Amino acid sequence: MAFVQAFLNGLLVGGVYALIASGMALIFGVMRLVNFAHGAFLMLGTYLSFYGWVLLGLNPYLAFPLWGAVLFALAVGIYWLLVRRVMGASDFLQILLTEGISLALVGLAQLLFGADYRQINLPIANRIASAGPLHFSVGYILSFTVSLLLVIALQQFLAHTEMGRAIRAVAQNRTVAPLMGIRVERVSAITFGLGIACAGVAGALLLPIFWTNPTVGAPYTLKSFVIVVLGGMGSVQGAALGGLLLGVAEQFTAYTWADRYAEVVNFVIFLLVLLFRPQGLFGGKG
Amino acid sequence: MRLVRRWWPTVLFFAVVGSMPLWITDGYVLQLIFRVLIFAVLGIAWNFIGGYAGQLSLGHVAYFGIGAYAMTLSAERIGWNPWLGVLLGMILAALGALIIGSITFRLRGPYFALSTIAAAEIIRVLVQNQDELTHGAVGTNAPLLFEAPNLDAKFFLGAVPILAGAFALATWIHGSRFGYRLRAIRENENTAMAVGVNPAVDKLKALIPSAVFTSLAGSVYASYFSFVGPDTVLNIEISVQAALIAMLGGAATVWGPILGSIVLTLTSEIFKNYFEHTHLVVYGLLLIVVVIFVPGGLVSLFQRRGQLRRQAGPIGSVQG
Repeated sequence: MAFVQAFLNGLLVGGVYALIASGMALIFGVMRLVNFAHGAFLMLGTYLSFYGWVLLGLNPYLAFPLWGAVLFALAVGIYWLLVRRVMGASDFLQILLTEGISLALVGLAQLLFGADYRQINLPIANRIASAGPLHFSVGYILSFTVSLLLVIALQQFLAHTEMGRAIRAVAQNRTVAPLMGIRVERVSAITFGLGIACAGVAGALLLPIFWTNPTVGAPYTLKSFVIVVLGGMGSVQGAALGGLLLGVAEQFTAYTWADRYAEVVNFVIFLLVLLFRPQGLFGGKG
Repeated sequence: MRLVRRWWPTVLFFAVVGSMPLWITDGYVLQLIFRVLIFAVLGIAWNFIGGYAGQLSLGHVAYFGIGAYAMTLSAERIGWNPWLGVLLGMILAALGALIIGSITFRLRGPYFALSTIAAAEIIRVLVQNQDELTHGAVGTNAPLLFEAPNLDAKFFLGAVPILAGAFALATWIHGSRFGYRLRAIRENENTAMAVGVNPAVDKLKALIPSAVFTSLAGSVYASYFSFVGPDTVLNIEISVQAALIAMLGGAATVWGPILGSIVLTLTSEIFKNYFEHTHLVVYGLLLIVVVIFVPGGLVSLFQRRGQLRRQAGPIGSVQG
């Protein structure tokens, strides 16, 4: 039974991973930019959620659209100010720039919020729901459900709206898209905003079941890139599946081997997939 | 005469630095400059692979940590002289570079950068969890390479020849055919192959000395602060620092990392006196400013245009 429990726990965490990684995949797919600041924006999401609850009494499960909007606006601003300038440049400079943004955000958070661990006590998130011999924290179920709904909403948005079509067009061909009347800069700014809003909302949803501090986001940058690689670079659906898969893989390692090696599994999976199946587990073409 | 004209800045620089313990008596100032020297070594070493070959390694902390832990654990567990441990660290770092390099160099661009982080993180997590061998997350005391009194001055004088060695190697690479092959790889790996460069071999040849010097810096650094722990000598911030120092001063230049280390170390020290947690903000903002405004690094501000193009030039301005 513990086996089933580990599997389901993995799926629940994996739902949030799916949301984080969808944002990363969107940014990578459309802008060919590896966002090393992804985890830092997730961290900002946790703090927005934290202060929203502590100062304003806003329940993270209701207020997350607001935090998403705040991060969307911030990300669009950062795009116009900084990221735009390296869009044509080499990966080398792009990575260094987003790494710089990440360090600056983490550093600012340390200055503003201090380095302490913070947690909120949300009554509903701490309840336990039981189904026979299986037990789940309601917080995990809520975070999982909201995350998956958002991932589906993002996919629907990309598939069926005018802006979604424009985003996909830019992802397909950055040179031809403007000939079709698409404003590539604007699409890029919106893509960057959406991708970061995913990370930020995921952070807001993680807070009730986790804790936060300024460096809480660091592992998620790597995790989401691992997932993006698993799912096939730039594929949002692939990233959603990859997120669930990574969540399960981590829980299984923790269950069968040792909790502390769960992190290593990420990296090993990452290196193996890159070396032997660089098109991703679900990707068709190489 | 040409020899004098070419080498007087180098000789002057090392003469001034080497004589510092004679006229600087303040332990704090010596410690600060010691850090400048060690991080300059780190920047120079990173430059071999990051600057000349254009391979964005963000995992150099792995070699730093290997040096620090090899020295500490060989002294503690087998009772070796710490200097022998330093040598062991250099050998292990070279082996580590061979293994990590042969895996990660198959990848390019962001995949390469992330795989170097992954390799360094695997080492960190392993060290953190092998409590019986490494003391785990808590860390342990590192042995002293020198004996009291005048530790500050002795460590300082220990760092100078390391920097001189790294500098000499950088000078050689800068003007050698090997250096030009590395630059060719940086500009376009496929074209480099077409003209007869073997990137797989040359990248490894650049990574191994880079890892060895990084390991050496790690040993001396850990010994000076008498501590090794996964959060200090295996902290990913050190990888970023190495890259930032080289980029800030000037990637693929000989003097750049020294200049970068001076500027970065002093800037973060000055800010540290005003606020507690500022070094990350400083690193972040400097990195942003360098990438957007001076991708050629500070050295490029002093060079004439033509000279700049020949020697440094922003990395990867041509897509690879």
